[in-house]
Amino acid sequence: MSVDLSNVRNIGISAHIDSGKTTLTERILFYTDRIHAIHDVRGKDGVGAKMDSMELERERGITIQSAATYCTWKDININIIDTPGHVDFTVEVERALRVLDGAVLVLCSVGGVQSQSITVNRQMDRYNVPRISFINKCDRTGANPERVTGQLQEKLGLNAHMLQIPIGLEGDLEGVIDLVTMKAIYFDGENGETIREEEIPAGLKDAAEEKREELLDVVSMFSDELMEAMLEETEITTDMVKAAVRTGTLALEFSPVFLGSAYKNKAVQPLLDAVEYYLPCPTDVENIGLNLDKDEEEFSVTNDDEDPLIMLSFKLEDGRYGQLTYVRTYQGTLNKGDTVVNTRTGKKVKVGRLVRMHSDEMEEIDSCGSGDIVALFGVDCASGDTFTDGKHSCSMTSMHIPEPVISLAIIPKDNKAQINMSKALNRFTKEDPTFKTFVDHETSETIISGMGELHLEVYVERMKREYGAEVEVGAPQVAYRETITRRAEFNYIHKKQTGGSGQFGRVGGYMEPLEEGEYEFEDKIVGGSIPREFISSCDKGFKKSLAKGTLCGSPVTGVRCVINDGAFHAVDSSDVAFQLASVGAFKEGYMKAKPTIMEPIMKVAVEGPSEFQGSVMGSINQRRGMIIGTMEEGTYTVVEAEVPLSEMFGYSTSLRSLTQGKAEFTMEFASFKPVPKSVSEELIKKFQDEKKEK
Amino acid sequence: MIFVSGDVSACPESLGLSENDYIKEVFTMGKEDLVSNNPLRVLGLETDEAVDARRVGLVMARAGLGKTAILVQIAMDAMFRDNKVLHVAIGEGIDKTRTWYDDILTLINDDKKVANFQTVVDDIMKNRMIMTFKENSFSLATLEERMEDLSSQEIFKADCLIVDGFDFSDAESVSALNELNGFMNKNELKMIWFSAVSHRGDERVSANGVPAPCHEFDEIFDTVLLISPEDDEIRLKTLKCSEACSVDAGTSLSLDPATMLLKKA
Repeated sequence: MSVDLSNVRNIGISAHIDSGKTTLTERILFYTDRIHAIHDVRGKDGVGAKMDSMELERERGITIQSAATYCTWKDININIIDTPGHVDFTVEVERALRVLDGAVLVLCSVGGVQSQSITVNRQMDRYNVPRISFINKCDRTGANPERVTGQLQEKLGLNAHMLQIPIGLEGDLEGVIDLVTMKAIYFDGENGETIREEEIPAGLKDAAEEKREELLDVVSMFSDELMEAMLEETEITTDMVKAAVRTGTLALEFSPVFLGSAYKNKAVQPLLDAVEYYLPCPTDVENIGLNLDKDEEEFSVTNDDEDPLIMLSFKLEDGRYGQLTYVRTYQGTLNKGDTVVNTRTGKKVKVGRLVRMHSDEMEEIDSCGSGDIVALFGVDCASGDTFTDGKHSCSMTSMHIPEPVISLAIIPKDNKAQINMSKALNRFTKEDPTFKTFVDHETSETIISGMGELHLEVYVERMKREYGAEVEVGAPQVAYRETITRRAEFNYIHKKQTGGSGQFGRVGGYMEPLEEGEYEFEDKIVGGSIPREFISSCDKGFKKSLAKGTLCGSPVTGVRCVINDGAFHAVDSSDVAFQLASVGAFKEGYMKAKPTIMEPIMKVAVEGPSEFQGSVMGSINQRRGMIIGTMEEGTYTVVEAEVPLSEMFGYSTSLRSLTQGKAEFTMEFASFKPVPKSVSEELIKKFQDEKKEK
Repeated sequence: MIFVSGDVSACPESLGLSENDYIKEVFTMGKEDLVSNNPLRVLGLETDEAVDARRVGLVMARAGLGKTAILVQIAMDAMFRDNKVLHVAIGEGIDKTRTWYDDILTLINDDKKVANFQTVVDDIMKNRMIMTFKENSFSLATLEERMEDLSSQEIFKADCLIVDGFDFSDAESVSALNELNGFMNKNELKMIWFSAVSHRGDERVSANGVPAPCHEFDEIFDTVLLISPEDDEIRLKTLKCSEACSVDAGTSLSLDPATMLLKKA
């Protein structure tokens, strides 16, 4: 199947929770004839929006899992990933952005740029995703698209300018004026499906002219042709303006802004046109792969259907017919029945079924070409794996996956629940790299860890609903870490002589703080004081020691272990002996290296009316938070702070009561920082007490 | 020097220091490295004796010449000396203001390779708070109200104030500056530094050479610095300076145009 790549758009729809992106997606699917009736998110009709396919999502009115869908607008094939709005699920947003070429940032015309939009925008910056903005809900009381555009410039630093102005606002929203074509556009029919283009109403003509002038001034920077036409005062064509906007958008130097109301069926179709005109096709963006044969040398993928296949799995789902793997092809063609190689495992897999996803429905296809987003059946892999045709070894750039910051114990209620829970956890951990699970051998409890309370809460709920696994949930625990703060030397002899062959190994060297990374091992042994075959045993021993620190039993990170001396015995030295010697050496060095406990610090943004600023700051201060700053915009203030996660439990309730429910907050992981002495002492004591009890 | 800059792995025992002295040494050296080329230091305004001379300061320049970079360096010097600095940015966001600090610290660290850089930075950042306002929502009265909120709850009691983006062309805003001394005394502020934009076409200057729009009230400032491009370099000129300055009014320092840091002497 050969598709003209210039007619393909892989886009994501990202936004702050409740800005209406799922409703927008629903309308897009309606106007592109993928669905034939419109359903609300919090479906009064009991059907729910198409993209919120999980029962839980429909109930809560938020999107938890991104579902991929596909539609055709005019001649353009659009692959859409609907992405979650809550910060706890941002790995889904990040994954989507990694494989997409462009994005639509949806904003509420009343709420404007909120903290989650800032997070999403930062993620888009990270992956160089060109974006257009859609200011939704212009029918709502208090709608002010100009203010929101100003916020896009100030808060997000985008060179954002409106390409439309509204005809009426709030309850009077009738349509929009396109500043490129200088036409008024109205949306008639029961579902706004009939587009009517008219002359600009007389009362808005001057405003439209003025805004167009401003727009041309800005976008002429991206087109010599347009600039010349403006200077020479010759005719400025629609194509000239569109080309200039496109150039600026693709270069990430301009961000066009559209507006409307998806709920009231106003101005969604012009947004689809904008996706075609201004967002990149797969060949417009450079995607980088890593050549594994050449020490991960970077190379640009070709996007050519004729070249060897490279594709990346970015999402897994366990469905009725087995594992469903969402992939993006970066170059080459994939046919049904082809054998592909997973470059991480080296395993060959046959692609039995190839489907194009439309939320939870699918369409069988025979092949897909470069730039496409499709799903495979029955392919065993993890999210983030790269597949090739096996002729060359490469990997797409690895994805940024944050470490989990919160964990809780789950206890199955009965045997049946135990079996179902295992199945569920197996699936969830494969699907979501930020969701991890393990069994604490000391308590025999199953621990799940993730990115926030809501993140874990949703998985517990899904276990119950999708797998019938009833579990009891323990109190959430913060994922502490231990690290060392200074260099310390060790020299440890492990000696055991209890009949039979003995054990002997001496390991000498030092450990020191590692500024970046979790662990490093360096072998500086000269003269064979530790034989080569036992060097990896030392590494293994150190790694074992990292699993549990001696202060509070948390994993140890940021340590570089160097061995430079040792001794062995011709008969008694063995792999086990050197592993144990290294465990002993680690213990010896660790306490001298002034270990400390680190806790996850969250970046918290609280938004609310300015009158509550004092109380909000007070509440953060009480929670050991460090206020970074406040941003006051008339009657509204954002307080940004860094607060230890352990202090954030129950914050939503206390914030609600402090601000009469008028403020809201978001948080995301920022960094690990040492805990204060008092907290450290408490944690150490708790750990010691627990040890004694056992 | 006992502590070798950049050596993060040295043990206190090997340096013959107690645990506390070691930590103190690390911080002091780290901080010293970060501010050794600070404009206030070079002008001799960082000493305790110079407190009156730097009480109210002003950095002027045409748009885009680096006023914020200089203000941030002035703020950092105060923070390193354990003063609490409230950085008020008018018409800018928190992130952008914060980035100025991060960028300048990174640049200095690239040059000095400060020991335990992140720890030193984390430590001094406790002394900073950023407060941003939209142009139309800022007034000294609102600021005072916010500062009161912070100090009454013992969250942050500012010693120094940096006000970036104050509109000196607005008569109402400027008239509020008449109350500046009272405002400083009431809030126990040691210093306030402002920035102001001068315009190329406006030739008006005060007797001290302070350009418009601040030429008519330059008496409220104890120190006035002007950033001006000359040939292919950027100069930081001392337009007005009290006796406490180690340099005379009229002296100029050279700024690195790439980093807006003072060039090494």
